[in-house]
Amino acid sequence: MKKRTVSIVMAAAMTAGLLAGHVMPVMAEEQINLRMAWWGSQDRHDKTVAAIELYEELNPNVHIEYEFYSFDDYFTKLKTLVASDEVWDIFQLGGNFPMYLDKIYPLDEFIESGVVDVSKISEANLKTTQETDGTQLGLTNGINTYGIAYDPAMFEEAGAALPTENWTWDDYKAAADKITEELGIFGSSTFLSSDFIAGCSTYIGQQGDLGQYGFFNLDLTGMGFDDPQMLAPFIQMRADMINSGSYPDAGASAEVTNIENDFLVTGEAAMTWVAVNQFPTIYNVCKDMGRTLALATVPRVTADGNSGAMIQSSQMLCVSQDSENKEAAAAFISWFENDIDCNNILQAERGIPANEDVRAALAATATEGQQIMYDYVDMVSGFKVPDEINVLSPSGQDEVQDNYLNYIQQVVAGEITAEEAAEKTYADAAAIFE
Amino acid sequence: MNGASTAKAQGFRRFWNNDNTVGHVFAAPFIFGFVCFSLIPICMSFYYSFTDYSLGTKSAELIGFKNFIELFQDEVFGKSILKTLQYVVVSVPLKLIFALLVAFILTRKSRMVTLYRSLYYVPSLVGGSIAVALVWKQLFARKGLFNSVLVNMGLNKINWFGDQNLAIYPLILMAVWQFGSSMIIFAAGLKEIPSTYYEAAEIDGASGIQKFFKITLPCLSPIILYNLVMQTISAFMTFTQAFVITGGGPNNGTLLYALNVYNQAFKYNKMGYACAMSWVMLMIMSIITLIIFRTSRFWVFSESET
Repeated sequence: MKKRTVSIVMAAAMTAGLLAGHVMPVMAEEQINLRMAWWGSQDRHDKTVAAIELYEELNPNVHIEYEFYSFDDYFTKLKTLVASDEVWDIFQLGGNFPMYLDKIYPLDEFIESGVVDVSKISEANLKTTQETDGTQLGLTNGINTYGIAYDPAMFEEAGAALPTENWTWDDYKAAADKITEELGIFGSSTFLSSDFIAGCSTYIGQQGDLGQYGFFNLDLTGMGFDDPQMLAPFIQMRADMINSGSYPDAGASAEVTNIENDFLVTGEAAMTWVAVNQFPTIYNVCKDMGRTLALATVPRVTADGNSGAMIQSSQMLCVSQDSENKEAAAAFISWFENDIDCNNILQAERGIPANEDVRAALAATATEGQQIMYDYVDMVSGFKVPDEINVLSPSGQDEVQDNYLNYIQQVVAGEITAEEAAEKTYADAAAIFE
Repeated sequence: MNGASTAKAQGFRRFWNNDNTVGHVFAAPFIFGFVCFSLIPICMSFYYSFTDYSLGTKSAELIGFKNFIELFQDEVFGKSILKTLQYVVVSVPLKLIFALLVAFILTRKSRMVTLYRSLYYVPSLVGGSIAVALVWKQLFARKGLFNSVLVNMGLNKINWFGDQNLAIYPLILMAVWQFGSSMIIFAAGLKEIPSTYYEAAEIDGASGIQKFFKITLPCLSPIILYNLVMQTISAFMTFTQAFVITGGGPNNGTLLYALNVYNQAFKYNKMGYACAMSWVMLMIMSIITLIIFRTSRFWVFSESET
């Protein structure tokens, strides 16, 4: 008897559902499910989820299933999805996109049909996410560059010289050592894996004439410099700093898992490496603790040499080849990058928006931390940069990077010299192209 | 109902109630799981170990023994083997000694023994989990519990995870702490030893230590062999601790073999190479297990032989 009751109730419910469908035309519209994923900090997760909820409210027929990860986990997951042809409809990629070209569905046809609006995005900004042949792979989430976030109060307390616009790595080391000596904290927090960007990509670009050298060459087919010893001074500096305690050793570095628990934020270090879009987040956290952070340029090799600055796309959103709703996915990306309400939620946490109107709207209501970021990017944009730079990474870079960080550890342990570490790093990187 | 269909129905029933059928039906979920998630992947990984397969690009070309040749020129690979051997050689005996000791204490006839036995088993239940690894990371951190205890005792702090020679010991300690499953097996083995042996020894005036070394250990040796083999194999496959706590550092000082395989496969996108590594690991583990079995006749005591 009970069974029958249940089935009657279910049948009634289904009929009601069908009827309701007729009554409300909105419900009859085809329901679209999109899957989306990104990496980032908790702050980014919260903001992105809020933006997605707003989109679902505006477009009731679209449902977005989202997943978020830390950087490393994101790419592990992505690789397994690539292998099984199930990449998320909308996914985030950074400078390592050349590895995933097969999985990116270009946006060109949607731009042509008007689904994706690029009218307010400048040519230069569109170019950051194009292939060399002009194929539009995605839309950039924001413009970005690197910098050193620091706590001026700590510098002053220790009597260390404050960073200037063209300070050098020697100044950086001297300040860090001084702070460690005086305050007993790390002078500089760990750069984590970005130490590769600092010591390889940036450090090489800063040497020679403007645009003469790069770690890799412009079309990612080989090395961009010939003398491995150009890497050695940075490696030596890093090892010296670890040995003197002004830079965290591997054990301490492992305690930092993301920018929100960086030693600068916890008060155990006076400066750290940031992608500038991370700055407002840590600025706010430190502000709550009564500290005021500032943003300095990346140190140079020589004060009158190249800045090595790279204004680049922080990441982009792409449509995947595996998507069944490519147009809906592209429409979401267009909204995500161009809509002012959406970006008021996102607050430029992924970088400075590429859309002029959005940037103007956000700049008008910028918080202190954001204002510092905007001013900083304006300043860096004024630096002399080569006509063409390469901010992309070839597949295989991850291993070179891990080995590089490990060679530094070996120099610290006295197993090899900085010169040998430089030779090995060069050999590892050159091996990618064999 | 005609006769034919009744016979058919009976035949079906007989087939259905047959022991073999019942056995296979009950085993089916396991067989399905084993074939899909073990057997097929094993065969695939064997094939991939001779290719340059990578997850990101999906291409797989046969390259013969190139992966295996490269392995033996790979510095990181060599170091990870040495570190894994160090981990196994130190952690397994310590763990077994500890498990035996606790099992021995807990076989005495006293109240609460069952409770204590369950309590000591808990670390093994939560064993390989991420949560415990994170707790361990905090305990041994620069400002963790162990260092504050050291400082309070007037000693110097130890930079556990910053020193490449030291970093593996917290991981070993974590393995030793998870002695529960060996302990349970030891406890069961201890109960099997006839009490008459001990009574006879007591009459002859044997001391407690003599009884332990002359009766308990020999009678328990088959169980020790079992535990030794099982723990050695699982120690070779340790992954979580190294992945979560140290990430393999510093200077690859805790780059256990399984973590290295994972890095090659998922981080550096060299799935073929990682498969080759896995097969080398299988060979190393087989050889070591074989050695243990071969030497066992010198130290494993079997009652049937006497």
